[in-house]
Amino acid sequence: MEQVQRILDKFETPSNVVSRELKAGSVSGAVIYHPDLVDSAILRSVVFALEHCEEKTLEDFAKYVLYESETELSEEVDDSINSLLSGDMLLCVEGDDRYLVINARSYEKRAVTEPPTETVMRGPREGFIEDLKTNLSLLERRLKTPDLAIERLTVGRRTKTNIAMCYIKGIADPRVVKKVKKHLDEIDIDGITDSNYLVPYLEENPLSLFTQVGMAEKPDIVTAKMLEGRVAIIVDGSPIVVTVPFVLVEDFQSGEDYYQRSMFATFIRVIRYVGLALALLLPALYVALQNFHYMLIPVRFMITLMAAIKGLPLSPLAETLCVLLLFEIIRETSVRMPRAVGMAMSIVGALVLGETAVNAGIISSPAVMVTALSSIAMFAVPNMIGSTSVLRLAFTIMGGLCGLYGLILAVLFTLHYICSMNGYGAPYLAPMTPLIYSDFKDSIERAPLKDLKKRPKSIPNINSTRQA
Amino acid sequence: MAQSNVNEKQINSTAQSDKEAQKTPGKTTETKQSTSKQLIVVVFILSLATKLYLLPIYLIQMTGRDAYIALSIEVAFDLIALGLLLAAIMLAGDKSFFELLEEVIGKVGAKIFVAFVALFLFFKLNISAAETSTFYSDNVFADFDAPFMIIVLLIFLGSVANHTLRSLCRINELMAPIVALGIVMLIAIVIATGFDFANIFPAMRNGLDFRRAMMRNAAWIGDFTPLVLFIGRTKTKKHTAVFAAASGTVGSAVVVFFGIVLCAAFGNIKNFADSCTNISNILQFSIGNVYGRIDLLSSILWSVSAFIETALFFYATCRCVEYVIGRNIHFWVGLSLCVILYFLQVFAMTDPTIFSTVASCIPTAVMTPVFAILIPALALISAIVVRKRDKKQSEQGSENEAEK
Repeated sequence: MEQVQRILDKFETPSNVVSRELKAGSVSGAVIYHPDLVDSAILRSVVFALEHCEEKTLEDFAKYVLYESETELSEEVDDSINSLLSGDMLLCVEGDDRYLVINARSYEKRAVTEPPTETVMRGPREGFIEDLKTNLSLLERRLKTPDLAIERLTVGRRTKTNIAMCYIKGIADPRVVKKVKKHLDEIDIDGITDSNYLVPYLEENPLSLFTQVGMAEKPDIVTAKMLEGRVAIIVDGSPIVVTVPFVLVEDFQSGEDYYQRSMFATFIRVIRYVGLALALLLPALYVALQNFHYMLIPVRFMITLMAAIKGLPLSPLAETLCVLLLFEIIRETSVRMPRAVGMAMSIVGALVLGETAVNAGIISSPAVMVTALSSIAMFAVPNMIGSTSVLRLAFTIMGGLCGLYGLILAVLFTLHYICSMNGYGAPYLAPMTPLIYSDFKDSIERAPLKDLKKRPKSIPNINSTRQA
Repeated sequence: MAQSNVNEKQINSTAQSDKEAQKTPGKTTETKQSTSKQLIVVVFILSLATKLYLLPIYLIQMTGRDAYIALSIEVAFDLIALGLLLAAIMLAGDKSFFELLEEVIGKVGAKIFVAFVALFLFFKLNISAAETSTFYSDNVFADFDAPFMIIVLLIFLGSVANHTLRSLCRINELMAPIVALGIVMLIAIVIATGFDFANIFPAMRNGLDFRRAMMRNAAWIGDFTPLVLFIGRTKTKKHTAVFAAASGTVGSAVVVFFGIVLCAAFGNIKNFADSCTNISNILQFSIGNVYGRIDLLSSILWSVSAFIETALFFYATCRCVEYVIGRNIHFWVGLSLCVILYFLQVFAMTDPTIFSTVASCIPTAVMTPVFAILIPALALISAIVVRKRDKKQSEQGSENEAEK
């Protein structure tokens, strides 16, 4: 058939797809499908239905024969091929140039499990998977409202990856939605394989060290974010959902915070902030105090410190940089190595290497302790590990070269840069600056849920009331 | 609805609008870059940032224990300038300082005046930067490598020049609690160590001799001048001016308090006070070796405000220069000012005598108070004139419409 040939001609290896001629109702026709992508049960039932009916046109087949299936008429060959490659069947009949696209998609997918990066002691354990449809169903099950808007797009000239942009109409600011849509529409890339590919296109400062989009693997977290006015972007093939706008305090919030007692959740959040401060500044302060400002160290502590660093061949800065670099190498190798070997690697790296280096008099035990404490503290805010690692190194160098003078200026420089970030109208450091008192209820503090009557003002939204 | 309007402004005023804002000198697409709270915090920071490093000791060296009186008068002088500026901010509406001047004295007149403002701000910037460096070199570092360290300061200032006033206001807001913590710690240390304030009496034994010291150290007046950039760019509320004035008064009171402390310590032995002695260098306030130099640590926290004040002066100088040359080239203006500042600072740090001579010479003593008051006064007069003119025009417009 001519229609079949038109499709097959577009393929470099036409044998990838199967075409089968049949008697569809009272006319001759053919179905075209990709054997690896279609559900064979749907295929069988569609063919059976077509062969045992009396209709003549594609419209009638869709309306009276395949009423249980999701169908769509396509006039463009390229669109039809896209559908075919997504797992749909194409039906064509003699005398009609169009194709009836019948949804027969079937992919191998894993079960909905708890994501390894967001494990909780209390709370839902469902996590997103790589299937867009499943991910949308996980969201829709939690947001049973007609206001849930799901706009579908395709990104990638070759991968034609399906994307769903989700938001709640009546909460999300239309200007934010429009801006996100504009950014997504502007993407002109041959392919995307994960939601992380979208991040640079959604961020307003792609070169920045700091993440400007939220990432979540759990539907309860994404639902909560959407209820605050954010837009979620789900990418087919990725278990990570991207949300915008994003403010820094989100990195200090965990889904579990909302399932704990508010006092405890607040305490944990304070610990996270302290952890970040320790992670960023402890090695820098150690080096700065030792190099330049020993008068700030209490005398008794100073005596202990002097005994520990006596006879070291390296300067405090070089010593601390060595330990920091060693830690980064061990961390990277532990992540990349097979789990069993990784464990052994950690022991060798952290215990054997560290202990031996201290005993050999190459590095001092305070430097190891400071770096270890700083590194452990870094994991209190796991979403910021990347930026924290780089900043910690930069601050340490500044502290070592310019003491507290340089360290304060480096911190001011960084904060000033962060203060300038304002993606999608959400000030990055809100509610700390600009000061938004009402948003403090869910930033450093986690107020009882019944007190969170208003949505955060930091995130643009058009309906501020959350509960009466 | 109001919420929605705010959001619209916010969304439209992201990085893109910041870039657009850089195209027209003196104008921004987002007119309101500072909130009312941020203005209040900026006033607080400006009121106390640099007045405590060198000024009290310079005054003590010249006039002994009456130095705190001279200091109080200088502070009062600044508070008058603050009052004028706050009034201008409240009356200006959406019009910036540059726009107000253009409407009142014409574009050429405005450019000439702004050129003088830029010079004054640059002079104040140098005082502020030199003070901070002196504090660190004489109190915090055993060996302060000024030519290298100042580069670090200039990198920060360069970054400030390339961003908006909004970022600067936000960092002020963010760092204010740390500065306040430093001050509270210092006050607590002074009180806890049982300081004898009676040393400041009897006052004015040498009559009005303190006037000379005050005049020769007038370079420290005019700390609120960068607020001209807040005219027309602050989201004012009904009581913004009152709270900002209160914040400035509290900051000034802190300055006077520490001035009194220094006078009580060195007022009777003024020859022992060297040019770099300041509140953190009085060892008797040190809590002791057991706890380390907490007093110095809190002074260092306080120094954050001095860095921020320096940044405000730098930012204001850059914007004034850009207005004068008629082009918004943040990077090049920032870089040029950094280069000039670098050489001046290295010069000042290597020969502090020249720095103190320039800071206390007669032209400086005359010009600084004049500019410190003239700039806010002209801003206020312009705001009043433009406001009246706009009001008259709108009344005429409504009358014409009624006639039609």
